[in-house]
Amino acid sequence: MSLGRSVRLAPVAVLLVALLSMPVTAQTPKSGGVLTIHPLSAPPSLSPHEESTIATVQPASACYNNLIYFEPGKKQESESTIIPELAERWSWQDGHRNLVFLLRRDVKWHDGKPFTAQDVKYTFDAVRGAPDATAKLRVNPRKLWYENVEHIEAPDPHTVVFRLKRPQPSLLLMLASGYSPVYPAHVPLAELKTKCVGTGPYKLKDYRPGEFVEFVRNPDYFVKGRPYLDGIKWIIIKDRSTQIAALQAGQLDVAGSGWNRANAETAKKGKPELVVQESDSNVNVNVLVNFKKAPLTDARVRRAVNLALDRKAFKEGPMLGAATFGGAMLPRPAGVWGLPAAEVGKLPGMGDPAKQKAEARKLLADAGFTAANPLKLTVSTRAVAIYVDPASWMVDQLRQIGIDAVLEQIETGVWHPKMTRLDFQVALNLTGIGIDDPDANFFENFKCGSQRNFSGYCSEEIDRLMIQQSQTLDRAARVKLVNDIDRRLQQEGARPVLGWQKQWAVHWAHVKAYPQHENSIYNVTRFQDVWLDK
Amino acid sequence: MRGYVTKRLVIALVTLVGMSMVIFSLMRLAPGNIVDIIFESAGYVDQADKRLLERELGVDRPIPVQYARWVGELLHGDLGKSYRYDMRAWAIIKPRLPVTLELAGLALLFSILLGVPAGVISAARQNRPIDYVLRVLSLAGLSMPSFWLGMVIILLFVRSLGWMPSVTYVSPFDDLRANLWQFVVPALAVGYRSSALIMRITRSAMLEVMREDYIRTARAKGQRGTLVVWRHALKNASLPVITLIGIEFAFLIGGLVVTETVFNLPGVARYLVDAIQFRDYPVVQNLVMFIAIVVVLANLAVDLLYAWVDPRIKYGRA
Repeated sequence: MSLGRSVRLAPVAVLLVALLSMPVTAQTPKSGGVLTIHPLSAPPSLSPHEESTIATVQPASACYNNLIYFEPGKKQESESTIIPELAERWSWQDGHRNLVFLLRRDVKWHDGKPFTAQDVKYTFDAVRGAPDATAKLRVNPRKLWYENVEHIEAPDPHTVVFRLKRPQPSLLLMLASGYSPVYPAHVPLAELKTKCVGTGPYKLKDYRPGEFVEFVRNPDYFVKGRPYLDGIKWIIIKDRSTQIAALQAGQLDVAGSGWNRANAETAKKGKPELVVQESDSNVNVNVLVNFKKAPLTDARVRRAVNLALDRKAFKEGPMLGAATFGGAMLPRPAGVWGLPAAEVGKLPGMGDPAKQKAEARKLLADAGFTAANPLKLTVSTRAVAIYVDPASWMVDQLRQIGIDAVLEQIETGVWHPKMTRLDFQVALNLTGIGIDDPDANFFENFKCGSQRNFSGYCSEEIDRLMIQQSQTLDRAARVKLVNDIDRRLQQEGARPVLGWQKQWAVHWAHVKAYPQHENSIYNVTRFQDVWLDK
Repeated sequence: MRGYVTKRLVIALVTLVGMSMVIFSLMRLAPGNIVDIIFESAGYVDQADKRLLERELGVDRPIPVQYARWVGELLHGDLGKSYRYDMRAWAIIKPRLPVTLELAGLALLFSILLGVPAGVISAARQNRPIDYVLRVLSLAGLSMPSFWLGMVIILLFVRSLGWMPSVTYVSPFDDLRANLWQFVVPALAVGYRSSALIMRITRSAMLEVMREDYIRTARAKGQRGTLVVWRHALKNASLPVITLIGIEFAFLIGGLVVTETVFNLPGVARYLVDAIQFRDYPVVQNLVMFIAIVVVLANLAVDLLYAWVDPRIKYGRA
């Protein structure tokens, strides 16, 4: 071979070597296969609008579509990651007082009927409890989200207008949540609890309460070429060890909903080829200090409780090192609205534990509680391991400052009624927030009189600021207002956050494009882009 | 005999009526109700909607009226509607019955097949090495909870074979082989515990019988040892064993909660616990009634078996 020819071939060889040595980053998706996965727990129904649990949203999302949705492939949900679904495009009009959606014309319900703007109006009139709504939800957990919607119009079959009482940029995010699918107007709401007639990528094949939910590919799905999977089977497995064993034995393709780090590590240790996806989540472990029950009506006692709980010990103890610290909004960088990191380090419970505990003891003494007359507190929590573990830790922390604390485990059936009635002193609670947005969080958990304001905290000033931030259109100004509110909530111990949980998805390597969002667990399970490399 | 059976059936009926009252009252005594749970877990309570649902489910009526309604529906073969799932209760209960019955039946079969021969051998070889081995094995069976044993077996399977029984129920009519694979392991885990109990009772009953004169006579007449043990002694020692088997079957129907959970079998027992948590009254009441009926019938069957096993027992005479 002549030198000249070698020189001419050299770039080709270099290119070939480079191509061969490049990691395969973008494989061509394959169609086929059934994804097996477990939900967090048994879904109480298949109707997301009537439930407040991820256990329903997880499976039901595959069946429905929203007007808009968060892009599955983008880790962080925000206004900029919203993609069109049933709406082709949308626009704010009249100074953010009207939100106009132009709908797709090629969409059919699973029973073959055409999708129109009337379906959208029907759904959201029912959800907001409009006086002239043609249907009524038996239970309506998200009514609060749409309180600012004055009227919904469907001027033609492919246009919907949401008319608002005041500007509210968050409405767009709420509509993109897994809790906001569009329902068919021609199917009674009660039927949607056990069957699913949607427009989504998968049709319901079989549902056995407490056993499984099975979907098959919707061949008429309006997104051409999707979904890739032939079906999805959500298998309800209550026992954590059985979930791990089923994953390792290959009976599940994906597991991890509700797992902690130890579970993920156990699964991986048994089958090293498993892929572990760890991420932040929008679920926090918080303390409910009952503002309406003596002696917790005394701000000194509330602050003492808050200071006693050493957040770093919490992370290393019950959270097994897997948690992030922050205020009421999910901390950055996973969250969009969290307090700056420098401020988080100065929140109650984040400082030197010895000094904070000494300050807590002094506050208790000032409030009249000493070793001779200790403060007696019952720490209530739900009788579920993920609650009981941190609550037991909390009891120990409170005892370290001289509080005579005892643990009370509440059965699930009584837990929410007890919280709603403020029938407790101090409680340890887990709160999952549907979307990473101040309106979805503040109004529900901190507004005076809200039914999910489980600590009974109430400040007219904070309520005013909540409304102000809600209608602020300038993003920087809104972030500042949200941070101001959060700062105040933390200083006043409205609902002290011990830490923000991580989430895990553990799957076999053949599962591709499995979505995981770092600032919500609720808006990712449409699964139209997931495929199996088998 | 017919008179005895009729009398027992009447007593069984009275027992079931009493049971229905106890079940009904206990559910209402437990704090919390389904309407509270449905609304307050959703976080938004519209009082008017709540009252509407209470009326729809009938839980706003006086307790005696609710009880009468339930019994009336039951007598018409209507099990009511699951409050939690908004479905007919029968639609939820029906697919779960064969699962539990199959698991309990197989477990009982294993326990008899393991327990009775082990007890007989242990008694026939009293204080010999085989007796010690069997006694240790039976003690181990009594000491190990069946769900723990089940989980250990699952982990061993997964580790060594990369396999475990299916986590979704396979009907025997769809795939008998897969169904048996699914049930054999949990049935063995549960059956081992029961077999330990049966083995110990069989052994002690056998030891007692083996000291009887007629056994000595049979041996003196030159009958073979195995014939004496298996035909004469075992038959006469079997009454307490039959009683125990009846009790065990009744226990298994309602006592498989953790085993069904560990093996992810969608049976009655596992579902019952979920239903209790959600105060799903119609489902709980009907499932507990079903278990009560099984217990009553199992006891009746055991009593009738006595006469078949031991002809000296006569029913209906003073």
